[in-house]
Amino acid sequence: MSAGFQAVQWNRKKLVYDAILLAGAALFIGTFMAVGVWRNPPADPPAWIDLRINALGTCAFVMLTIILMIGPLTRLDSRFLPLLYNRRHFGVLTFFIALAHAWSVVDWFSAVGALGDLVTELTNNRKYMQFIGFPMKALGLFGLLVMFLLAATSHDFWLAFLTPRIWKTLHMALYVAYGVLVLHVALGVMQEDQRAFIPILLGCSFAAVTLLHLAAAWRERENAATSGGWIAVGPPASIPDKCARIVTAPGGERIAVFRDGGQIGALTNLCAHQNGPLGEGRIIDGCVTCPWHGYQYRLEDGCAPPPFTERLVTYAVRLREGIVEVDPNPLPPGTKAAIRVAAG
Amino acid sequence: MTRGHRAVHRALWPALALIVALGVTMALVWRPPPEQPEAPTTEAQPK
Repeated sequence: MSAGFQAVQWNRKKLVYDAILLAGAALFIGTFMAVGVWRNPPADPPAWIDLRINALGTCAFVMLTIILMIGPLTRLDSRFLPLLYNRRHFGVLTFFIALAHAWSVVDWFSAVGALGDLVTELTNNRKYMQFIGFPMKALGLFGLLVMFLLAATSHDFWLAFLTPRIWKTLHMALYVAYGVLVLHVALGVMQEDQRAFIPILLGCSFAAVTLLHLAAAWRERENAATSGGWIAVGPPASIPDKCARIVTAPGGERIAVFRDGGQIGALTNLCAHQNGPLGEGRIIDGCVTCPWHGYQYRLEDGCAPPPFTERLVTYAVRLREGIVEVDPNPLPPGTKAAIRVAAG
Repeated sequence: MTRGHRAVHRALWPALALIVALGVTMALVWRPPPEQPEAPTTEAQPK
């Protein structure tokens, strides 16, 4: 922990991020509805609600797709990192738009006086045995429930309460929700609307998420080119001063290799506080500083400065033929492992 | 993300992706043909 520790607060960057998010979502929904009215003007109130259902549903699906693309995009190109910092707000807004979509469906059945039909559709057991005709609203409801669970536990309180390991495992359920929601669209609107737009949107979104994950995994594997078990990082000057380059060990563990002038050291990429991405932080006041909550660690041994007691796993580093290399086998937490090189 | 999370992620993703891709393909292939204009009209469900 650091003397300068403070809980995550609202700051200008977060407000700008949220403002852009809200404006983007409003623009998407507004444009979708305007084009819908222009192409096929709604004749009655249920038709207006139908258009709203489509606009909100498409917006929520596109936002969910973008959320799942942020992770691999940041691993492929660090310029996408600002998207990652506030991804939880992105997710919470997506849940509220999906909730408005679900509420609009109930509103539609209410407007045509057929709420009973909605209940029948969800409780008709025979329909659950079919593929085409499967109650796609049940799939949507399941996806919405998962999104609610994730949005409700997105606050830092739940991260601390559940522990980072359980919290992260829980939040991986978003992948399951995404798969279910793809099928919700495929078995729902794609069956009723014969335009090519829907399968194209669905296919492109799903393919983009899948291919980006594959590309990021391939890049990590390629970067983990080893030399006698040691991972090549690059010349000392290729590590930005006071910052890190992140390399991936064969087992998938990320290692943050920092340079502080002529000193180079390697620490686990996971902060001891809440598993924050340490390698995306900087060296401030001589200590590696986590970008999430400001926890600090000494580069030479991964120990928090006194009076704090947190210790990180370190990794042996060496300079061979002008290339910094790191041993992917972790050393016990707090082991001195940094080396001195000519300042780059 | 820890090593354990990554292992689950790697096992879950391909299986989930295959199931969903298969489901979407089947839904596309088996979707009913467009309604004919002379067919009796029934009130459409919301999409």
